[in-house]
Amino acid sequence: MLETAKPLGTSMSHGRELPLAVMVRQLDWILLIGIAALVGYGLWAVAGVTAHDVPGQPHYYLAKQELYVGVGAVLFFVAAALSPELYRRHWRLLYVVAILTLVLVPLIGVAKRGSRRWLQIGSFQFQPSEFAKLLVLLALAGFMAERGRALRDRSTVFGVLILVSIPTALVFAQPDFGTALVYAAITAAVLLIAGTRWSHMAVLAGVALIGSALVLWIMPALGVQVLKKYQNDRLTGFIHPSYNPQGATYNVAQSKVALGAGGLHGRGELGSTQTTLGFLPENHTDFIFASIGEQHGFVGTSILLGLYLFVVWRGLRVLVNARDGYQAVVVGGIVAMLVFQVFVNVGMTMGIAPITGIPLPLVSVGGSSLFANLAAFGVLIGMQMRGERSRRGLR
Amino acid sequence: MPEIPGHGSFIPGDSRTREPWHINQQTILRVGILGAIAIALFAFLAIRLWALQVISGNEYLKIAQDNQIRTVRLQAPRGSILDRYGRVLVDNRLSQSVLVWYAELPSEGDRPTRYTVLSNLARVLGIPTRKLIREVEQRKTDPLSPVVAEQDVNRWQSDYILERSNQFPGVEIAPRYVRTYPHSPLTSLSQILGYVGIANEEQLKSDSTGQIAPNDIVGQSGVEAAFDSYLRGQPGLASQRIDAQGRPRSDLIPNPEPQPGDTVSLTIDAKLQWAAQKALKDGIQTARNSQCNGCWNADGGAIVALDVNSGAVLAMATSPTYPASVFSGRVTTSKLARWGLTAATQVEKNYPAIDRATSGLYPPGSTFKPVTAIAAMQAGVLDPTQNLHCTGAMWVNGKKYSNWDPNANSMINLPTALAISCDTYFYQLGRAIYSLPQTSGEPIQFWAKQFGLGQSTKIEIGDQAGLVPTKVWQKSHYTASQDRTWKPGDSLNLAIGQGNLLVTPLQMTRLYAAIATGKLVYPHLLYSIKRDGKVVDAGVSPAPTTINPGALFNERLQAIRQGLDLATHDPLGTSTPVFGTFPIPIAGKTGTAEKYSQQYKRMFSQAWWCGYGPEINPKIAVCAVIENGGHGGVAAAPAARAVFQAYFHIKNSSYQAVTNSD
Repeated sequence: MLETAKPLGTSMSHGRELPLAVMVRQLDWILLIGIAALVGYGLWAVAGVTAHDVPGQPHYYLAKQELYVGVGAVLFFVAAALSPELYRRHWRLLYVVAILTLVLVPLIGVAKRGSRRWLQIGSFQFQPSEFAKLLVLLALAGFMAERGRALRDRSTVFGVLILVSIPTALVFAQPDFGTALVYAAITAAVLLIAGTRWSHMAVLAGVALIGSALVLWIMPALGVQVLKKYQNDRLTGFIHPSYNPQGATYNVAQSKVALGAGGLHGRGELGSTQTTLGFLPENHTDFIFASIGEQHGFVGTSILLGLYLFVVWRGLRVLVNARDGYQAVVVGGIVAMLVFQVFVNVGMTMGIAPITGIPLPLVSVGGSSLFANLAAFGVLIGMQMRGERSRRGLR
Repeated sequence: MPEIPGHGSFIPGDSRTREPWHINQQTILRVGILGAIAIALFAFLAIRLWALQVISGNEYLKIAQDNQIRTVRLQAPRGSILDRYGRVLVDNRLSQSVLVWYAELPSEGDRPTRYTVLSNLARVLGIPTRKLIREVEQRKTDPLSPVVAEQDVNRWQSDYILERSNQFPGVEIAPRYVRTYPHSPLTSLSQILGYVGIANEEQLKSDSTGQIAPNDIVGQSGVEAAFDSYLRGQPGLASQRIDAQGRPRSDLIPNPEPQPGDTVSLTIDAKLQWAAQKALKDGIQTARNSQCNGCWNADGGAIVALDVNSGAVLAMATSPTYPASVFSGRVTTSKLARWGLTAATQVEKNYPAIDRATSGLYPPGSTFKPVTAIAAMQAGVLDPTQNLHCTGAMWVNGKKYSNWDPNANSMINLPTALAISCDTYFYQLGRAIYSLPQTSGEPIQFWAKQFGLGQSTKIEIGDQAGLVPTKVWQKSHYTASQDRTWKPGDSLNLAIGQGNLLVTPLQMTRLYAAIATGKLVYPHLLYSIKRDGKVVDAGVSPAPTTINPGALFNERLQAIRQGLDLATHDPLGTSTPVFGTFPIPIAGKTGTAEKYSQQYKRMFSQAWWCGYGPEINPKIAVCAVIENGGHGGVAAAPAARAVFQAYFHIKNSSYQAVTNSD
């Protein structure tokens, strides 16, 4: 008489949800402060970086971002309050919602700079692929939870791959290669934490390697273009950056100059010419890290990286203390998502990672990304609060 | 651990019946791997950041600084050009240019639209909209340099644009120096002064000083080109912060400031120049009025006045001409065409671009006869006191060589031969020289060159060398064997300044200055160059060279001078009617040179008069040429006299001028 045999979607009346008081008492304030510090740092950085972007309106982007943070905070607490049981059971629904919004994008979406990634709802544009990251992660973990007894089976691995391949294909078509890479990272983390056999992992890693070689190198060499030319240039530009300073790698060249010019202490808000005079494109979104580097120097960037690492450490602690395997997988996915996005974004600004259009989590100006990330951290905090008291010893 | 159903499973059991999910060693390992990957990636980022920001920070800082600073060349005010008494011939004035910056024009969807801005601008400037749009669109690839929509716009136009700057985004009114000519009616100086313009590719390439940059204004011809390195000054540099679109974000900060160009004073005397210009105009009119054979075609000429001792050019006029301001500010083809400065209109306007004084090539005719006489005397075939028979014509090798006066029949010496310009006298000298043995060389050509013919005078603004035909030249110039050999007729023609001989008015003035002093001067225009009021050493032109010193030579030269004096004072002298009563003794020679016109397929007489004065202690040499002006005594001599008159400040009333010498 296994609980698993019960149909999904049964009520939560079996009393597994802890009392609110207990949860609040259990709350990892350090993690919460870490997340809040990241958001605060982001607002402070945005204030400096965007002060000169809109003439006469030094707070244009700051006000926007503050509004997003306000909405995002609500999402954060809602996500934390919801029982993980709820979304574990309804993973199919979450998955369908993710796929549906992604399908809607090419049909009714808004195109910006050659890429159709946005849905217009009223005056607000949002990017379904950002939310889909979290939804897909929850769906994969939910699927794993259902296959609890067959986790190490090849069929489970295949199931995960099939599940993730549909949203990946959809974002790839937008085209949004960066988010597709994030799905790959999430999948890898899910498989890792869920306990997939090492041999399976190795095979998958090999397939991934051969696949990227095919897409980036062999197929183009044979005359088959899988990626659009600009995508290929962006992905491979960091390997030979001097190839075309005015083209695909112009942004990266300017970004490196901005970072380098920042030096140890930064050039301050007024002295940061790369940022304020418009040499650095996307200085408040994808390339905000370079602007932070220019204005606040190595001191500023290393503090930011330190904050991320701090949250990652507290996140892994939540993983270890997770109430069950499902939650462990979700937490692992969220942490991996954070690490991967930070690495690819920061690496991009330094010219050591491809240009993918992945924003810097919790810092880049943009509602969708901030909402999705805050919701993900809400889920993380929610699982932390519901974690095992008995494992406090492991701290 | 006891076997518990659901252990290690992912499904949380019922807490009432089941132990909670326990993390196992395997999972710990996997979490460790995840953590290790995170730490490794972050460490990698941190190390790279350290390398980028701290180790190579200064390199990137320099790139960032270069990124934002645009260096602009500031035009230096060009130096003024003055006459020898400090009268301003060429100066600067500020003009307004209209520039269009591509990057600042409205982009897609902006109001007003790009088309509206450009069509309004074209309307204000009075230029075709389509042309402006095409020029602007061509600059798309180079958004950092502006399109010059129009130069030298008027006050109304610049005010209109400035007052409505919000309607003209991307349009700039930029001040620029352009040349201005306070003595604008002094058009006979235009070719000498020359003009300025944007440096062309050749000038950029040949610039050894490395000071000329694209878009710089440099002298293109005349004095402007000859003394360009002094006149143009040192352009200043100014730095300006710009953004990624090239839009200025700060004021221009000059460093260093531009250094204004030096003031160049010319040897020209503007008053004398004015007299020469008027004399030339009157001379041409006189020739036309004289109704001589072919004088209806009198349409050009030149007058040169040289300081006989220094070679300083006191006046140098050419006709036809154009106002120098044609090349100043807004230069349009229609404006150039109106003044005959385009290939299409230059023939109709009789080539006004040519400075006839330095570059007009004419046969000298009888004004050349002193050279023939010197050559004959130096070659030993003529004694100045010896009398030769002046006849109406002379036959050589079965060909008739005529005197201008067919009735002449007298025995005359050299001074008289010069005074009455007896052609047959000089034919005899030509024939005698032709008959000299090979070892004697070519005395006429030799002495022509000694007096500066057939070579550049080295005047600063450049000139034509002319042509002194020699046996060698004749052989190389012609293809037919009968033309290639030097024949007696060639010597005869050369003796009276005809044949292939070509000279410039400046060369002839120099020649007469040399007759006056015995020294060959180097004609020059530079009086002084001053920088901040102090004289700059610009190198002086070479000192006059004494021609073949020796008592005998001076004696022979004296015979020539005597002949030139008789020519202006003897009752039979060719220009006695013009100079006989002139208060200052002037010596000089008329010339009536035959020149073939390709256009009319006939010969025209080029009227010459060359001479100097005063005869004792000469000061000034003057040559006047009137193209197709008939006999030299009719139009050229009075024109030259007007210059002497102005030079010696002689009022018309103080002597009885004989204007009609018919």
